[in-house]
Amino acid sequence: MSRLSFLSIVVISAVVLATTPAAFADEPSVTAVLDSSEAMVGQPVQLQIKVTGARSATMPEQIGVDGLDIRYSGESQSFEMQNFQTSYSVIYSYTIMPERAGTFRIPPQILRVAGKSLKTPELTLNVANGRGGGSARSGRAAPAVDPAKNAFLELVVAKTTAYVGEMIPAEIRLGFNTRTPAESLANGIDLTGQGFTTQKMRDPRQAIETVHGRSYQTFTFKTAISPVRAGKIDVGPIEAHPVVRVPQVNRNRPSIRDPFGLNDPFFDNFFNDPAFAPSMPRQINLKSEAATLEVKPLPPNAPPSFSGAVGNFSLTAEARPTTAKIGDPITVTVKISGRGNFDRVSAPVFENDSGWHKYPPSSQFVADDDVGISGTKTFETVLSANEAKDQLPTATFTYFDPLKEQYVTLRSDALHVRIEGGAPPPRATPAATATAARPAASPPTPAKQQDILYQLNELPARTEAFAPVWQRPAFWIAQVVPLLGLVGYFLWQWRKARRNNREARRLAALQHEAAQLQRDLQRPDASPREYLAGASRAVQLKAAAKTNIPAHAVDADVAANVFGVDEMTRNRLRELFARSDELRYSGGGNGSTAVSPEQRQEVLELLQQLR
Amino acid sequence: MRALVCGILAAGVALAQAEPDPVFTRANTAYAAGHFQQAIDGYQQLVQSHRWSASLFYNLGNAWYRAGDPGKALLNYERALALEPHHPEAAANLHLVRDQSRALELRPDRFEQYLAFANANQFAIAAAVAFWLTAFAAAAMVFAERRSAGKLAAVLLASAVCIFAAAASYAKETGPDGAGLAIVIKQNIQARVATADTSGSVLALPPGSEVKILSTRGDWSYVFLPNGARGWIPSGAAELVRL
Repeated sequence: MSRLSFLSIVVISAVVLATTPAAFADEPSVTAVLDSSEAMVGQPVQLQIKVTGARSATMPEQIGVDGLDIRYSGESQSFEMQNFQTSYSVIYSYTIMPERAGTFRIPPQILRVAGKSLKTPELTLNVANGRGGGSARSGRAAPAVDPAKNAFLELVVAKTTAYVGEMIPAEIRLGFNTRTPAESLANGIDLTGQGFTTQKMRDPRQAIETVHGRSYQTFTFKTAISPVRAGKIDVGPIEAHPVVRVPQVNRNRPSIRDPFGLNDPFFDNFFNDPAFAPSMPRQINLKSEAATLEVKPLPPNAPPSFSGAVGNFSLTAEARPTTAKIGDPITVTVKISGRGNFDRVSAPVFENDSGWHKYPPSSQFVADDDVGISGTKTFETVLSANEAKDQLPTATFTYFDPLKEQYVTLRSDALHVRIEGGAPPPRATPAATATAARPAASPPTPAKQQDILYQLNELPARTEAFAPVWQRPAFWIAQVVPLLGLVGYFLWQWRKARRNNREARRLAALQHEAAQLQRDLQRPDASPREYLAGASRAVQLKAAAKTNIPAHAVDADVAANVFGVDEMTRNRLRELFARSDELRYSGGGNGSTAVSPEQRQEVLELLQQLR
Repeated sequence: MRALVCGILAAGVALAQAEPDPVFTRANTAYAAGHFQQAIDGYQQLVQSHRWSASLFYNLGNAWYRAGDPGKALLNYERALALEPHHPEAAANLHLVRDQSRALELRPDRFEQYLAFANANQFAIAAAVAFWLTAFAAAAMVFAERRSAGKLAAVLLASAVCIFAAAASYAKETGPDGAGLAIVIKQNIQARVATADTSGSVLALPPGSEVKILSTRGDWSYVFLPNGARGWIPSGAAELVRL
């Protein structure tokens, strides 16, 4: 197998391993959500049951609620990848048609998913009687559309009365006659105003609807409104400036529709399809009607644990591990699910948490809808026990239920754990050690008493500073010592290098002069005086090059000692130096006028021996 | 010479056996008698005269605890530990009071957790030592007739240690135990999303909770919170650990 194909297999395997199991690695879960919790008789509401982590589920054949006609309307599947984590989900849709007014509870449904039974949360639907009872618009099934106009813009607010902080679903619908289709929505739709906040709007849902016998291309934007003050609040009106394509009809000259110029409506009807009609873009101005909200303040005397959450929620909690030692961390996962203002859903409060050390929780919100008002917020809190325990503290969460019009406090079920008391908490160790080691100014503290330690009676003479060490002068003064050492090292090395250089130059000069003399001593025409003077100088140079003795200070004995020669050679050196001195200082040219070859050979051999 | 040595020794012994500070002794006596405010005043007098030591802040923390102010008690325990990181009594009381007051702690990140074995000063000294070792080894290599692989490895190792120690010192100084560490000393403090009392709450901060001050704007401080979020708190609500 080639290296390339092997790498391909490795990469493909890694991708498969990274994606396929991840889709089903998590435990399957199920949520259910209504697209609106408020409706009127005859106004359809969508119920969606979302199963995550599985490809299919066994759904209940029938959901029966007296007063509601609930029918299965289809399923869709979705595959998501986020941060290299994949998830697969199936959404089962039901259409609910309210048959009468009232508050209806859709009971939890049991689903079989991957061999397990999962339960949907209970849902509540409020149905008002007739038009205008609950919605800020005059009916959803029949929007206020002027048939004479080719486009409409309407704002649908699900309620006319609400509480401060309550999330109210709102829809903005933009419709265009299919004869004048939209080319662009220009700057889109913006819902702003005083006294409320809105959720971020996602991309609109497109559809073709028939209104008053006309076909419209509709864009539906979903959001939610949350009032921030009590009183009467005006929402809208909304303005939009979309660009539509308007068909061009020129009656003055024959067109492709009416080649004979008969102005016969037959041709217009025949070529009625806008796809074939010549058209031009035109910006139009649309304005919706305003909606009014009557906002009530939250009742007084809210529980201390109330953090502003308004809606309808449920709470579940679990802990891992359930067996630990004192001081070991236990992660408590609390899930708050439901519908409401999740931005105000804060971490649950733990009751009876004496003997527990609590760390700040982390939180994560997963929305079930496009608007972010329905979903699950998960809090993970790490607790560690300071003493032996058999139960975790109870997690509580308080919210205001606008349907019940009262504050509701949810409490987790009892979470049983086993905290073994074998190992004492780490932080207790220094306290116990210190108690035993030091005399106490205050009364000694018993081991189990939760009290602080004693006072210290000795105050050190040396004061200390908070400033970091590099902000203190002493630190930088201390750096002078190694700096001086480094500078000294540099100077020493520099002097050493310079000295070595001088010595090398001296040696080179000596060697150069010795080589010159060696060549001169080969010449036959030198007088005995010059020859012997040169020979003795050559001995001096050789000795000086081997030691640090100056050349002029070298005599026969010094040279003999430097080279460690035998006695005979020493005597020959003495004779050489003596004859040289004799000829140099005698003042005359004693002896023959030239050096014999034997004498020259003898001197050269002597010089060769000096190594 | 002998006289000089004897003089130095005598001075050292005298210093070691110095009389205890009368203000400190009086404050301790007041504490033992249950006059905690009087004890606080005495300790504060020493703090204002810059006679700072871990023991002084520890005793002051105890006095604040007895006086019923766990926020200021925790602040002074933190100060004691800032001066002497291994002060056993301050560490014990800090944990105890923090548990009782349910104060929140800043969580160190993963890098800071690995650096828990030393403080910023120790890393700074290690960086300085490694720097000079690098300099000497480099100088020796420059002047050497033959540059061996061993000498090069010594230079690289010392410079790596220097860089790591300097980075660690910086991380410690800017981390949860660094210069910006402050302790909430007031009751009912909420970190908010904006500089207004009416703005939304980010986190409720019990007295003694740790925050890291990032910047200050007027009467408000922008802080890093124990839950990893950021928010605004009144500037007077928290006090820096470092004086």
